[in-house]
Amino acid sequence: MLGKLTWSAIPFDQPIPLVAGGVVIVALLAVLIWVVVKGHLPYLWREWITSVDHKRIGVMYVLLASVMFLRGGSDAILMRIQQAIAYQSQGYLPPEHYNQIFSAHGTIMIFFVAMPFVIGLMNLVVPLQLGVRDVAFPTLNSVGFWLTATGALLVNLSLVIGEFARTGWLAFPPLSGLVYSPGVGVDYYAWSLQISGVGTLVAGINLVTTVLKLRTRGMNYLRMPMFCWTTLASSLLMVAAFPILTATLAMLLLDRYLGFHFFTNEAGGNVMIFMNLIWAWGHPEVYILVLPAFGIFSEVVSTFSGKPLFGYRSMVLATMAICVISFMVWLHHFFTMGAGPDVNAIFGIASMIIAIPTGVKIYNWLFTMYGGRIRFTTPMLWSVGFMVTFIIGGLTGVLVAVPPADFILHNSMFLVAHFHNVIIGGVLFGAFAGFTYWFPKAFGFRLDERWGKAAFWCTFIGFYVTFIPLYAAGMLGMTRRMQHYDVAVWRPWMIVAVIGMAILTMAVVCQVVQLVVSIRNRESLRDRTGDPWDGRSLEWATSSPPPVFNFAISPDVRGEDAYWEMKAKARQQQFAHAQPEYQDIEMPRNSPTGFVCAFFASIMGFALIWHIWWMVILGLIGAWATFVVFAWRDHDEYVIPAADVARIDRANIEERRNLVSLAGSV
Amino acid sequence: MSELSDHSDTSFAPGDEGEHDVGARVLGYVIGLALALLLTATSFFVAGTTLVWQPSIPVALIVLAIAQMGVHLVFFLHITTGPDNTNNVLALAFGLFIVFLVVGGSVWIMSHLNQNMPPMDQIMRMQ
Amino acid sequence: MAIAATAGHGHGHGDPHHIGLVIEHPGPAPKRVVTGFGFWIFLLSDIVMFSCFFAAYAVLLGQTADGPKGAELFDQRNVAIETVCLLLSSFTCGMASIAADVRNRLWFYLAMAATGVLGLIFLALEFREFAALVARGAGPTRSAFLTAFFTLVGCHGLHVTAGILWLLTMMAQVFAKGFRADIMRRLLCFALFWHALDIIWVAVFSVVYLLGSTP
Repeated sequence: MLGKLTWSAIPFDQPIPLVAGGVVIVALLAVLIWVVVKGHLPYLWREWITSVDHKRIGVMYVLLASVMFLRGGSDAILMRIQQAIAYQSQGYLPPEHYNQIFSAHGTIMIFFVAMPFVIGLMNLVVPLQLGVRDVAFPTLNSVGFWLTATGALLVNLSLVIGEFARTGWLAFPPLSGLVYSPGVGVDYYAWSLQISGVGTLVAGINLVTTVLKLRTRGMNYLRMPMFCWTTLASSLLMVAAFPILTATLAMLLLDRYLGFHFFTNEAGGNVMIFMNLIWAWGHPEVYILVLPAFGIFSEVVSTFSGKPLFGYRSMVLATMAICVISFMVWLHHFFTMGAGPDVNAIFGIASMIIAIPTGVKIYNWLFTMYGGRIRFTTPMLWSVGFMVTFIIGGLTGVLVAVPPADFILHNSMFLVAHFHNVIIGGVLFGAFAGFTYWFPKAFGFRLDERWGKAAFWCTFIGFYVTFIPLYAAGMLGMTRRMQHYDVAVWRPWMIVAVIGMAILTMAVVCQVVQLVVSIRNRESLRDRTGDPWDGRSLEWATSSPPPVFNFAISPDVRGEDAYWEMKAKARQQQFAHAQPEYQDIEMPRNSPTGFVCAFFASIMGFALIWHIWWMVILGLIGAWATFVVFAWRDHDEYVIPAADVARIDRANIEERRNLVSLAGSV
Repeated sequence: MSELSDHSDTSFAPGDEGEHDVGARVLGYVIGLALALLLTATSFFVAGTTLVWQPSIPVALIVLAIAQMGVHLVFFLHITTGPDNTNNVLALAFGLFIVFLVVGGSVWIMSHLNQNMPPMDQIMRMQ
Repeated sequence: MAIAATAGHGHGHGDPHHIGLVIEHPGPAPKRVVTGFGFWIFLLSDIVMFSCFFAAYAVLLGQTADGPKGAELFDQRNVAIETVCLLLSSFTCGMASIAADVRNRLWFYLAMAATGVLGLIFLALEFREFAALVARGAGPTRSAFLTAFFTLVGCHGLHVTAGILWLLTMMAQVFAKGFRADIMRRLLCFALFWHALDIIWVAVFSVVYLLGSTP
């Protein structure tokens, strides 16, 4: 009846996951009870859960990423402490638990922190920057978000029911095959990624279509803000790379569930097909994450330097070049596995070539700052911190792109330090820069600068104190994923790293305090004009937070830096023009499709993991029925009357006029 | 970046035809079907025949398959090279590029890997 | 927004790079184009997924683990009939698109029904082939080669199954709601899907059955 699921699935004998899981469940229940008792449930359902508004969905993506960041960060703390004390001893984490922790850390940080964070920011900002009212497929957008949430839910469920994979974040066979991993850990891993992968694919399709087909009048390709270009490149990569992950995990699952022989040691199976295909997805994935971050830095640097982006066209070319070349370097993740000198040389060269467009970008940012009137706000600090950190990460990357060097450094702590260097220094700094930069747009008030700067400095310093020692340990021969070790020279570096971890933890505390303080002081931090940073692109041309329709009248774009132009013209013309003519606006109606669909997907995923076949069929039928019901709706849009549009817009114009005339009189 | 010029009001959805006359549209599908059947028949014939030089058969089959996919694209999916189809064709080109990289790259890499480090059961058999 | 509206005069300035005539982007594309393009992108991603199974098949082609080879297993006549079924169904699917465009319900139902029946015949033939293979001990667990074969061909078969489910849903939708704009968009996507499956089948019969059975 319940497949493999029995009471023994709950780890009563392991206190750490049980207590952690218990705390999470109690916290969730407390929040749920609070919501129900306070009567917020109808509001949440109406305004958020069923919302198809790209801004709301973007915010929910970022919220999901933030929550999962706390989970992935806790795993990191556990690992650092283990390695600091497990010198000639077993430490405090038994091997099978330690292995689950590093697997969960990697999986969560990439799939459920970095991905939702960048997708959330793209969702929030891109339609605003393009001057349109929503993404191409609003309901599908909600489906994509909720499926991502389903994946995150399944990963967290593995904490209390059963176990997570002990195979590393990419679950290489034959270790992840049924022979060596008979438990449900790998199934949790694979099904949560399959389900959230569908969500990512949907988000990618949506964003590609939005950028290519839904730009406002006059928004020619070469007038799009840089963030839209990097979104286009990143979502093209999502669309092209995620199917590879889906296919590869499907093969692994067929091996595990039906006794197929893709990656087994028997009957002619070949594990290297898995390495090959998973990295054909895995390398583009790195650029899926970092390209949007590049876009964020471009926006931030240009805004706070008060200058147009230097070398806009070279930036576009570099972005698209990275988009293409990132698909031609995947073998550098397994140089050591015997492809031979010809293959290694070609992929090594391709890997070094990709540093060139990235270098172009760095110079463009530097030249944008050169001669500008720079304001060192929190987003700008993240950007400058990124440039320094990312160059170090990029250089160590070029180092390991040289096959002979990689033979020494492969799978060492040096590699661990390298990819944290680019992912923290690139993606995470970018995500935080975008978070502080666009927070006022999303919520209508700025974040507290003092706590934001404190968070930045703690992260910046904490990063170096944590990861430079890992470079050193790697050079001293320490391999990754060690539960304990007997080499004395590694120990001091592990202790320094744990100190760095403490500083990074303080940084997270600063972020939380920043949020709390800002919410408390929101009246004094209020952004009444919609343009708190003296911005250059169209998202600043509407109020903060924007009305549901984003723009009362679709903007007409006449050049790069569309909003900057408009402000300049408006000052010259002294507002001589009459009131605009408002029209009715049609917006897509809210729909519970995404939530209901994800509900059935959760049931199906859980049932598949535990081999509860009747429940799988139930989930499948439910998901299909949800779509049919959605397709049967007769009214998928509602109308906002022109009078309402006018009322909302005039209030905004008043605020804005004050701002521009003040600035004009200075 | 000239190929990324703007799509105009007349840009097409993939699958939509410029032609509106029913007779002409049916004729298009008939031609497509005839060509597809002809190419399919040729493929099956080539695969089984002993009349041609044997090593050329795989190449011939691949060429015929690509030709038939082209016929399907033009006559059934209406993906043409017209200016109104730019985005559709560019997306297709990107997709084909990825397919080529994945299939070609995998076969190339795996043949070298198998050469230098054969799979487990082959090693066992060698011993 | 007044600023946005008032700033829309004085063309051509502001773009520092523009030389001569700049064609102004006309604004968001019509819904039909947006939907069709989005689905087109999805199809391309689906084709990339298939390419992985093709890659696995190409690599594992020789790994028969002393079991049967393709040449001993494949029945060319069966494959030829399957192919003709799919090609004809693509044609009838095209007829259904035309019938929908001219709002002719009778021809639409006929063409869609023919498409569905041809698809079902294809599935029945494929199922029979699979059952026969399993019965003679050449199932997917026999060797890596057969694993790759069953996965690739079976994945296409699953797509056809989903397509038939979609086809029936669309017939029911047209029956209940008529040729509404949103239903016409879905029909466009369905036709794209069905034709794309045919393209994948061309690759399947060429690579798997014909190349796979050359000695």
